[in-house]
Amino acid sequence: MINSVLRLGLSGILLILFQILILNNIQFSGYVNPYVYIMIIMMIPSLTPAWLLLIISFFTGLIIDLFTGSPGMHSGATVLAAFSRPYVLRIIAPRDGYESGSALSLGVYGIKWFFIYASAIVLIHHTALFFLEVFRFEGFFRTILRILVSSAFTLGFILLLEYYRKGR
Amino acid sequence: MRNLLNFLLKYNNLIVFLILEGIALYLLATGNTYHNSRIVNGVQGITRGINERIANTRTYLNLREINSGLASENTSLRNKLQALRQEQSLSFIDVNDTVAGQKYRYTTARVINNSVNRQKNFFTIDKGTRQGIKPDMAVICGNSAAGMIVGCSENFSVAISILNLDFKLSARLKSNGYFGSLTWDGKNFRYVLLNEIPQHISVNVGDTIETTAYSAIFPEGIPIGTVVEPKKSGSDFYVIKVALFTDFKKLNYVDVIANLQRNERKELENRFQ
Repeated sequence: MINSVLRLGLSGILLILFQILILNNIQFSGYVNPYVYIMIIMMIPSLTPAWLLLIISFFTGLIIDLFTGSPGMHSGATVLAAFSRPYVLRIIAPRDGYESGSALSLGVYGIKWFFIYASAIVLIHHTALFFLEVFRFEGFFRTILRILVSSAFTLGFILLLEYYRKGR
Repeated sequence: MRNLLNFLLKYNNLIVFLILEGIALYLLATGNTYHNSRIVNGVQGITRGINERIANTRTYLNLREINSGLASENTSLRNKLQALRQEQSLSFIDVNDTVAGQKYRYTTARVINNSVNRQKNFFTIDKGTRQGIKPDMAVICGNSAAGMIVGCSENFSVAISILNLDFKLSARLKSNGYFGSLTWDGKNFRYVLLNEIPQHISVNVGDTIETTAYSAIFPEGIPIGTVVEPKKSGSDFYVIKVALFTDFKKLNYVDVIANLQRNERKELENRFQ
């Protein structure tokens, strides 16, 4: 138990560092801004109480905010993603339910399930984030395009990392 | 109490979510200048729209009164016109004076926001710099003084009302020309006080108070109100209670007066100060 919490914390820190040090510095047109740190919210086991999940997600977002100099943007979007996670899990539940205490990972539930799960969370998070960033509805379709392109890149990174985790 | 606890238990996740989301939005609004200005502009846009709508309704309701006011103003103007024509035809001279030029320019505007119940009252009118309104122009209602423009945007201007503790106006008794300064004591929106009139002259109830030309803002002789109660205070001066002609509770259409020679005059005066 303690061990798994430690491992989760460590991978969370690594993800945040990856986000701040590498991904935030990608300057590849205005459309590609992958935010892979959202994977922290996905990795937390299904048993975790929802309020704890919300608080963890708030502080994760806040740390990213501090490093990007945009207070409130990432924390708002991440809290929204964490809040919607139980509903997403309920909708896409496998036939025999979730095993208690198991990690919500590609290795346990398969690629198809994980892909739906990850894309739902990523889309919710990115939609909230990009609309909070532009904070207007003018140029609506441009924002939508940015959301879709960035979500695709984020999903790609997340799937790569999941395969890496599974392989170990 | 138990119901409340049950409620909190049932919706605790939602409550935590709303609190955290609220903090995030607060940070967003205060920490980013862009988001802050968007929010402030949005809120102001809404209130301005509502204000304008209220003013529209009020104008409609007051149409009868406005019409009668306009009609009486028309008659008085027509009378003046007739008087002028008579004078001219007497002397058989038609003067077109282009050297002296026009001294004051009048612009009609509508009041879209107004208050009388604060200590520092302002009102907003629906004309701004685009229509040639600038700060330090006089505002009159009908033919009596109402205030002074203090700030303009492109399409709106804010005027300081006579009913403002910070407003001071040079005013005189029409009967004998003694002048003093007019202020508001913040008590009643129908009365203002005229100070600095020496006690050795006689002031009668019903005397008219009008503006002087000393400020270079108001034209000379714009009526302000009538004397209600000349009170002798302990000092050498009267404190005269003046009933205003302008009813600030139903301020609707006003005229903004631009003094076209104000800059010239101020420049000259500043040279000797």
